[in-house]
Amino acid sequence: MRQTIKYTMLIAVTGLLLSSCVRDTKKIENPAVYNFERDGQSTVSFSGQTTRIGMATELINAMKDFNVSAETMLEMYANETATGGDANPFADASFNESTKSVKSKVAASEDFFTSNTSEAAVIKADIQSWIEAQVSEVFPNQMELAEPGKAGQASDGTSTRYVNAKGLEYNQAINKSLIGALMLDQIVNNYVSTAVLDAGTNIEDNDNGTVVEGKSYTYMEHKWDEAYGYLFGASTDASDPLATLGEDAFLNKYLDRVNADSDFSDIANTIWEAFKLGRAAIVAGDYTVRDEQADIIRKELSKVIAIRAVYYLQTGKSGLPASGTVFHDLSEGYGFIYSLRFTRDSNGSSYFSRSEVDGFIDQLMEGNGFWDVTAETLDSISEAIASKFEFTVAQAAN
Amino acid sequence: MKGIHYTISILTIVLFFSCCETEKKRMFTDEFDRSEVLTFWADDIIIPAYEQYVSDLQSLSDQVTIFYDDSSLEQFDLLKDNWLSAYKSWQHVSMFAIGQAETNEIRKYTNIYPSDTELIESNISSGVYNLMLPSNFDAQGFPALDYLFFGVADDAASVIAIITEDAYQQYIIDIVSNLTSLSEAVLNDWKGAYRAEFIANSGSSATASFDKMANDFMFYYEKFFRAGKLGIPAGVFSGSANGQSVEAVYSRNYSKLLFDEAFKSVQQFFNGVSFDGSTEGPSLDVYLDYVQGLTEGTDLKKAINDQWAIAASAAEEHLQDDLKALVDDDFIAVLTVYDEIQKAIVLLKVDMMKQFCVQIDYVDADGD
Repeated sequence: MRQTIKYTMLIAVTGLLLSSCVRDTKKIENPAVYNFERDGQSTVSFSGQTTRIGMATELINAMKDFNVSAETMLEMYANETATGGDANPFADASFNESTKSVKSKVAASEDFFTSNTSEAAVIKADIQSWIEAQVSEVFPNQMELAEPGKAGQASDGTSTRYVNAKGLEYNQAINKSLIGALMLDQIVNNYVSTAVLDAGTNIEDNDNGTVVEGKSYTYMEHKWDEAYGYLFGASTDASDPLATLGEDAFLNKYLDRVNADSDFSDIANTIWEAFKLGRAAIVAGDYTVRDEQADIIRKELSKVIAIRAVYYLQTGKSGLPASGTVFHDLSEGYGFIYSLRFTRDSNGSSYFSRSEVDGFIDQLMEGNGFWDVTAETLDSISEAIASKFEFTVAQAAN
Repeated sequence: MKGIHYTISILTIVLFFSCCETEKKRMFTDEFDRSEVLTFWADDIIIPAYEQYVSDLQSLSDQVTIFYDDSSLEQFDLLKDNWLSAYKSWQHVSMFAIGQAETNEIRKYTNIYPSDTELIESNISSGVYNLMLPSNFDAQGFPALDYLFFGVADDAASVIAIITEDAYQQYIIDIVSNLTSLSEAVLNDWKGAYRAEFIANSGSSATASFDKMANDFMFYYEKFFRAGKLGIPAGVFSGSANGQSVEAVYSRNYSKLLFDEAFKSVQQFFNGVSFDGSTEGPSLDVYLDYVQGLTEGTDLKKAINDQWAIAASAAEEHLQDDLKALVDDDFIAVLTVYDEIQKAIVLLKVDMMKQFCVQIDYVDADGD
């Protein structure tokens, strides 16, 4: 009898503990739009992300303006002077007042770069070096015709492309590299990661509805919103952004492009639904559902980068021999390849190591670069990229 | 039947542990005697380390007197030797910001760098200064002496000519005197009432000695060891490297030596090695083994020490005595070492602290 009581009590204790640990698994409703409120006030905030998208936009536009100095462009990148002083390089005064910068969030995710600052420094410096090279190599040759080994103009239909000695447009390299190094990295390796969402007392605070001082949101809610902001922060109506997809020059735009390919016509919706449901799960305190949505976001956004990398390599290939048109496509491809480093597979690692990405780029830039790259090289890189995903080169190419 | 009983008990314990992780609250009481750890820390690490530090400061103070009596190159060399010995000893007590050391903020008066050399010069030339003011944190301590002994002129004879001026002499005496009185206050507290108080506070709450020390250790590792010695100079936080921010920047050749000394003190503390290296006792490592014995988790103690071994060999491979030159020439090499030091933080701050159910009591500032 005593034994039985003892067991019963133990089981009861166990049961109590279980109930204190495991949450109700009631189904979380996915709202129609990305609107979340607490006491009648919106809890959604991602102004910092909108700001950075705006800063990056000014930077890539400045790179095509022959009147802008390298100094000003570097200030747009870092939002400070070379010596760390206050800088006012932007046309938008609010960016000048902001303490945020593009550079500080390049290759700066918690999961990938906190213990990998040496690679992060190289990536930040790569982008800086492209800015400097645009001014030192390409700008002086504004009125020269490009040829192998010589920077200058190259004709692309009615457009003129300004390329370096190997046919690379530095402005495209930066534009497309930032999609990975800034937007993708911050979303998939930082803000939807448990290391960030669950940092400090975030879980306890979110469970108790403890908001950040002076704000309407909990830290966890805000972190998720910051991920959302890197994708939808420039949308006209960010609560319902799919109707006007393609409103920035970065990840949003290329999600739109991939979504326009009939092979991937559900991808934008899949990502958006995951963002909404994940946010609703945070409100409901269901971190399992939240993390499942994070996995969907990571997988699908990583795919966007890979599909566009293959797309541009294949478009470039179909345009061979070398011309301004091919240079433009391959320059975009170059940036998307650079961005592959920031993708994230289901094991939490990048789909591509540093040496794999460097290897692709070395193959592209060998000898005279885009002037003499072969169809075989473009195909073999395309295959190597697609083989890591569930799409074919042919699906990405059209 | 007994088998079932044990099974259920173990299941219960495992549940307790997992709850503690997710709820961030202490929901179990283990049988581990924390006071044994506290006693070992006090008697075999902290008090001996402070005794050494205070004694080295006394030697420094004595040598200051000798040097101002006989301002020869030989006595100046001895003065610098004494400065370095005390600076090395400091690396073994810096992390213990508890008790009187927390109250009197000894760390801020002792080793804030880079020094504000303009402030030092203006203090000296005006002769009016109060070293206890927070605004003078970066105008005193070992970094200020580093500047005064090595940075005011290019060669030793010229340095001597400057620092034997009355105003400089007084400033140096005042700095050493401040270091001495702050450290004696801490040591006397430990040798007085505080030791017993520290050990008696053996519970498990945010204010318990163990929780506070575990936090002090972590905070030191992150802010003063990782960031101060490597991360800030290499530009991890600002985005631009600055060799002027290394520890002991004016003497040029001691930054790595001080880093090594601090790294040694971190590892000794974690592994329960006494200050003099002669004995071992219970510390974070033993407690970690105990808790992990209950949960059968991965061997964290080994993982942490393995990572430190990697970090130590990276430091040997990449760092050089003149760290300023290295930061200015090849800051990526410094980042390579920083990354290995950083990798242990997840193991310590997340994995280990969860095992102990110790809540981190400080926050990292995040950008947005």
